[in-house]
Amino acid sequence: MKKNRYLVLLFLLVWCCSSCGNFPKDPENTLENVTNGTLLVGYSENPPWVVASDSVPTGIEPELIKAFATTINAKVAWQNDTEQNLFEDLEKKKIHLVIAGITKSNPWKKKVGLTRVYVQQGKKKHVIAAIRGENAFIVHLERFLYEREQQLKKRVQHEEVK
Amino acid sequence: MKKLNDFEYPDELKQDFKKAKRLEWLTIAYLISTSLAIYFTMGNSQAMKTAWFEDLLSLTPSVSFLIASHIFHKSPNKDFPYGYHRVTSIAYLCSALALFSIGGFLVIDSVMTLIMTEHATIGTVVIFGHQVWLGYLMIAALLWGTFPAIFLGKKKLPLAEKLHEKNLYTDAKMNKADWMTAAAAIFGVLGIGMGWWWADAVAALVISADIVHDGFVNLKQAVFDLMDEVPKTVDNQKTDPLVDQIKDTLAAESWIKDFNIRLREEGHIYLGEGFVIANQDDNLTQLVEDAARKVQKLDWRIQEFLIMPVKKLPEKEKA
Repeated sequence: MKKNRYLVLLFLLVWCCSSCGNFPKDPENTLENVTNGTLLVGYSENPPWVVASDSVPTGIEPELIKAFATTINAKVAWQNDTEQNLFEDLEKKKIHLVIAGITKSNPWKKKVGLTRVYVQQGKKKHVIAAIRGENAFIVHLERFLYEREQQLKKRVQHEEVK
Repeated sequence: MKKLNDFEYPDELKQDFKKAKRLEWLTIAYLISTSLAIYFTMGNSQAMKTAWFEDLLSLTPSVSFLIASHIFHKSPNKDFPYGYHRVTSIAYLCSALALFSIGGFLVIDSVMTLIMTEHATIGTVVIFGHQVWLGYLMIAALLWGTFPAIFLGKKKLPLAEKLHEKNLYTDAKMNKADWMTAAAAIFGVLGIGMGWWWADAVAALVISADIVHDGFVNLKQAVFDLMDEVPKTVDNQKTDPLVDQIKDTLAAESWIKDFNIRLREEGHIYLGEGFVIANQDDNLTQLVEDAARKVQKLDWRIQEFLIMPVKKLPEKEKA
């Protein structure tokens, strides 16, 4: 019963992995690096999601990022550029996140990691783009976004009324 | 035109055939359920997409078995004087090709992942108000893809041998491929969780070797069967011992001085001819008919065996 032995082994593995705390992990340790460090965020204007200003962007998404950065005690370094350039940088892992009011149907989704939909406006399912495959980082961000879900829904409805 | 006799499984095998059909229906229902489970937990993971594609393709043997089982026992008619048995061999070819394709696809897919250093993203989902890592759901869906498949495969193997059903045999191998890819994908998802982006591709590559092998052996045999190769056994593709039994039967006839036979496989059944040099001319028709009947009684698989008295044997068998 060789096969059964493999399966028992498999079960043990699943159990071990799920019982340890920091799971999933990042292949490139992004979460570890940005915690108490600097979060590199690219933004491209797309009101009301991202509103560019002289130094620090405002709008729904920059505010979210600022709040997220405080939860991991990180500074935010902003980089303003076109979406094309930002996604290229994100693919090369030069920045950690891209915000530009992007949605789930973004064609870059195969090259970067998109979070789960954090808010929906009409048919547009809004997400934030992160480095692909940095699962601990993405899971952490998604947990943060989920906590804010109700708040964000109200905010978006408010924007619609305006 | 002389038609082949109607074919039905012998009474003792009818139950087994019914059981095989039931198993195949069960397999279809099961595979649809696993592919749904995987589809809903797929996210944008390439490994899960592969497992899903593999599940869909692995429907081929069971579907082709059920289609063939509706056709092969139809009575021979003036358009199909040899009956419809070959449909079984065609179904076998389809299944073997599907199995081989899955293996080949796995190899290409995992090599590409490794070359492109693709890092899979697996985020979270919210179910019933709880936010969980999608990887755990994937593992649950994949576990459903392992144990039942092992059980189904184990049930099919003995039936396939009894019924001389190579398609069913390939399907059992397909179930093996199913549970192995699912198990590999579980390792893959766990590996991704550990931060090893390559785990999933490497696991797939390891098991694909086995699937490619099974696929190739069966694909080769399916093509050879259609090319009228001498009948081979279901499980190990060796020349069927029945061939020797026929030779022994003819050799035991005192009126036959020398003989030569040939046999081919049409799905479940065998058809063949024997060329004999008789050492007496009296009563020859009767002797020929009796000998043919004796050969046909050796096994249910020998559907028709014709004996032709000749003055000289067609050509000595090579090797």
